[in-house]
Amino acid sequence: MTEWMLEIDNLHVAVDGKEILKGITLSIPTGEVHAVMGPNGSGKSTLSYTLAGREGYEITRGRILYQGEDLTKLAPEERATRGVFLALQYPVEIPGVATLTFLKTALNAQRRARRETELDAMRVLKLIREKAKALNIGEEMLKRPLNAGFSGGEKKRLEILQMAIFEPKLAILDETDSGLDIDALKLVAEGVNALRAPTRAMLVITHYQRLLTHIVPNRVHVLTKGRIVKSGGSDLALELEASGYENVEAA
Amino acid sequence: MTALALKPLSRTDLFQEDFAANAAELPGAGLAWLDKRRAKALDAFAATGVPNRRVEAWKYTDLAAALESPLEPATRFQGAIHEAGAFAGIAGTRLTLVSGFLHAVDGPAQDIDIVDLGAIGAKTPDWVKDHLGLLAAGPEQPLGAASLALMRGGLALRVRASNAALHLNFVNPARRHDFVSHSRILIVVEEGASLRLLESHGGEGTGQSLTNLGVELNLKPGARLEHVRLQSESETALHVTSIAAALERNAGYRALYAGLGAKLSRLDVVVQLNGPGAEANLRNVSAPNAGISDVTTVMDHASPHTTSRQLFKSVVGGRGRSVNQGRVLVREGAVKSDSHQLFKALLLSPRAEADAKPELEIFADDVICGHGTAIGALDADALFYLRSRGIPEAESKGLLIRAFLEDAIEDFVDTAIHDALWRRLDAALTAMGQELK
Repeated sequence: MTEWMLEIDNLHVAVDGKEILKGITLSIPTGEVHAVMGPNGSGKSTLSYTLAGREGYEITRGRILYQGEDLTKLAPEERATRGVFLALQYPVEIPGVATLTFLKTALNAQRRARRETELDAMRVLKLIREKAKALNIGEEMLKRPLNAGFSGGEKKRLEILQMAIFEPKLAILDETDSGLDIDALKLVAEGVNALRAPTRAMLVITHYQRLLTHIVPNRVHVLTKGRIVKSGGSDLALELEASGYENVEAA
Repeated sequence: MTALALKPLSRTDLFQEDFAANAAELPGAGLAWLDKRRAKALDAFAATGVPNRRVEAWKYTDLAAALESPLEPATRFQGAIHEAGAFAGIAGTRLTLVSGFLHAVDGPAQDIDIVDLGAIGAKTPDWVKDHLGLLAAGPEQPLGAASLALMRGGLALRVRASNAALHLNFVNPARRHDFVSHSRILIVVEEGASLRLLESHGGEGTGQSLTNLGVELNLKPGARLEHVRLQSESETALHVTSIAAALERNAGYRALYAGLGAKLSRLDVVVQLNGPGAEANLRNVSAPNAGISDVTTVMDHASPHTTSRQLFKSVVGGRGRSVNQGRVLVREGAVKSDSHQLFKALLLSPRAEADAKPELEIFADDVICGHGTAIGALDADALFYLRSRGIPEAESKGLLIRAFLEDAIEDFVDTAIHDALWRRLDAALTAMGQELK
């Protein structure tokens, strides 16, 4: 029997009264990586924000089950604590909060909410250093204010570092490839691949196929105009690259 | 600054009546030089009286309306004071003033001359005569003028060496009567000398009080003054401080002001950049929750090659109000003046208010004058980002508020002062209903 990490059923979402998602059905078994591909304005970011619980994304119909439970009633911090992680397309710059302080605060907030013991400063630092090394993130970057003045690549690497530290069960990567050069893309993809696990599921949202040559998904879903219009194996990404989104819509 | 002709309010006459009745009893009365300056200051004050909102520079901060009852002039406090102030434990000689009167001097004071202005007489040193009452006593600072005309206490300080460190610990103990204290601080930092001044204002009690302080800062060529000021009083306190600084060639004035509590507080700052190389760098953080926190400044670029910087940040909660007015004046011939001011306010409640008014008057070419104002709520993107990482909403807000204020503090002061300020700031923000971590 398949164990489902995420089950989205006939999901309709409106933003400012305008319907953006118009009946999405999509399920990810535990242990799999699925990709959602779509052109600009298809509703990719709306899907990721809705899953993470951002205010202003109103579910007008349908449901989202996470490990069999209704996700939609939970605040963003509760979702995070239960293992949902969203790597943002545009990570927010917060001058005045040191990156390391932020990581420590978030990790311990999650542990506290799960009734686990909080980690002391030394142990947090050790954990962060270990994980940061693989992503080529140095001490200097961790001391800087959160994302402030970071390059595109640095921001995305920091998102993946957070994923590595928080060890979510469901990771949603929203256009993690945007703004990355080839070297940065490889580094990020390696980071993501290292986190693939039988107990974890991922939803990789992207416009382009190129990320999916590095992170090979189990399934690919095509999102256009708020609907999944086609699903298939990882080859579908290559097909799309050759034919474009227009032809999928026509089909 | 233009003053409108107003029909005097009865409360406005309060100070004139005080002067008429008590001039002969004021410290230093009978000294011709001081009598003359006091009389002139009283005239300057009389142009507006206690300002109400019809006085342009006070339109956001109606002091006359806030003065509910007649106030008795404060008298010298007899008794023990244990309050060591917000900066207790940090190095420096501590001068404690109670209701504006010098009460105690703790610690050595080499290379610093100290004169109790509450007891000046015929033996007043020349350096005091040469400076006292020449700044912060004109019609553009009417309360400053009143603080000289009615001066009951205060201090004159002269610094002749480098790295002097002083605390001014202002305490207002609870009193039986509503009271007003008029006091003055005169500081002269001699050529090449430097001073770190930590000033704190605390108060208790539920009666009404008006602290009216006039501060004169004379910075001789190359002199440095680092000024950190924390004002945190009760919700019934009224507080006006008028600071005027005169900077000569290559002198530097760095100040961080923190306004954390009062029914009404007004900090009226005039900085005269009188010589090439003079530089003023002002920071302000305030966190009004119920009252008004007003910082009004004038940067007077009177010489070429002068620099002024201002970064003011307010977190406003409840029914609090923050007022930031900043006038930058570049006088004729003051070429290569370089000025920047940025006022930012964070509104945390629907009834919170922030008024910001930058004003530029430029009469010289080849100058740089920048200004910016931003008033808004917490950034929704940032708040979501933190919450999506598992940090609860209240804690996320606390982090963002802290970061907002830290921007004006962290790079400006050392760790000891930073931590002392944050102890009070955290308390003020917690009172505002924000959980801080």
